[in-house]
Amino acid sequence: MTLRPESRRATAIRITGLQAGVVMALAAVIAGSFFEVRPPEAYGICMSCHGRDLANWVTNGMFSTDLTVARASVVFPLLTTVGVILGSVLAAIMSGEFRWQKPARPIRSFSLGLIVMNLALLAGGCATRLTLAASAGDLSALVAFGAMAVGIVLATLLLRRRALR
Amino acid sequence: MTLAAIASLIVGITIGFVGQRSRMCFIAGIRDYVIVRDTFLLKGLVSFAVVAWIAFPLSGLIGGEFVGEFGRPVIETALLAIAGGFGVGYFSVLANGCPFRQHVLAGQGSTSSMVYLTGFLAGAFTFHAWVAPLLIGYLP
Repeated sequence: MTLRPESRRATAIRITGLQAGVVMALAAVIAGSFFEVRPPEAYGICMSCHGRDLANWVTNGMFSTDLTVARASVVFPLLTTVGVILGSVLAAIMSGEFRWQKPARPIRSFSLGLIVMNLALLAGGCATRLTLAASAGDLSALVAFGAMAVGIVLATLLLRRRALR
Repeated sequence: MTLAAIASLIVGITIGFVGQRSRMCFIAGIRDYVIVRDTFLLKGLVSFAVVAWIAFPLSGLIGGEFVGEFGRPVIETALLAIAGGFGVGYFSVLANGCPFRQHVLAGQGSTSSMVYLTGFLAGAFTFHAWVAPLLIGYLP
């Protein structure tokens, strides 16, 4: 690829949110129904649980600890999180959108990651899996999804009020 | 089980690619609608939920495995789900994107998101080492 980023950007593939939602849902369902990404049920995509499985599996192997790993990840951990980063690098380079950005507030980012992971594992999955499991008929995930929507609206309104003041 | 790992890697690359091209985020859909009534990402969230809802029983009919039974929530697990879900929504707005979006941003070079992911993986450890033992028996 000798194209400059500007010319790559002009020819880059464009995908709408709606199309992305359809592709992601199909990928998640197919992974769960045909490729043994289970149990637990509706486990096709989960950024927090799969990341947890990978991290805990590696820690268990290195330090012979006994941290929790989902049954789908016992023999070999699910690599969804690694795949997402690879896919994103690929798409970003192909479209000329890859560029290093300095961290604005690293301590804040780190703490938010820590907090979100703990709360996601408490609720039973990240935002993606809560949606997925709610669609599959998990009442507990449906409750968590409703609470998540309330949380988003509240945080957004508070941020907007602070910005307008 | 190794099949699952390979499949999940391919699923990850696919959705990572799609997610980068579309800026898909499960938090920003609702956030953008609240702020500026923009429905670009909200459509993604809704289509994800609707397609998954249709595809789960359908994949069972064409030879895949049906989705099994989920445990019925009791009051303790429902409260944890509410607390966890609310917190995921609230703090993901502060972090500017859901965990999926943070992985995608890390892939396109945002070091902020890479730091977020470090915290994210550290969170997996803190949860299982300290938080989960306190709540044993109540987790969904």
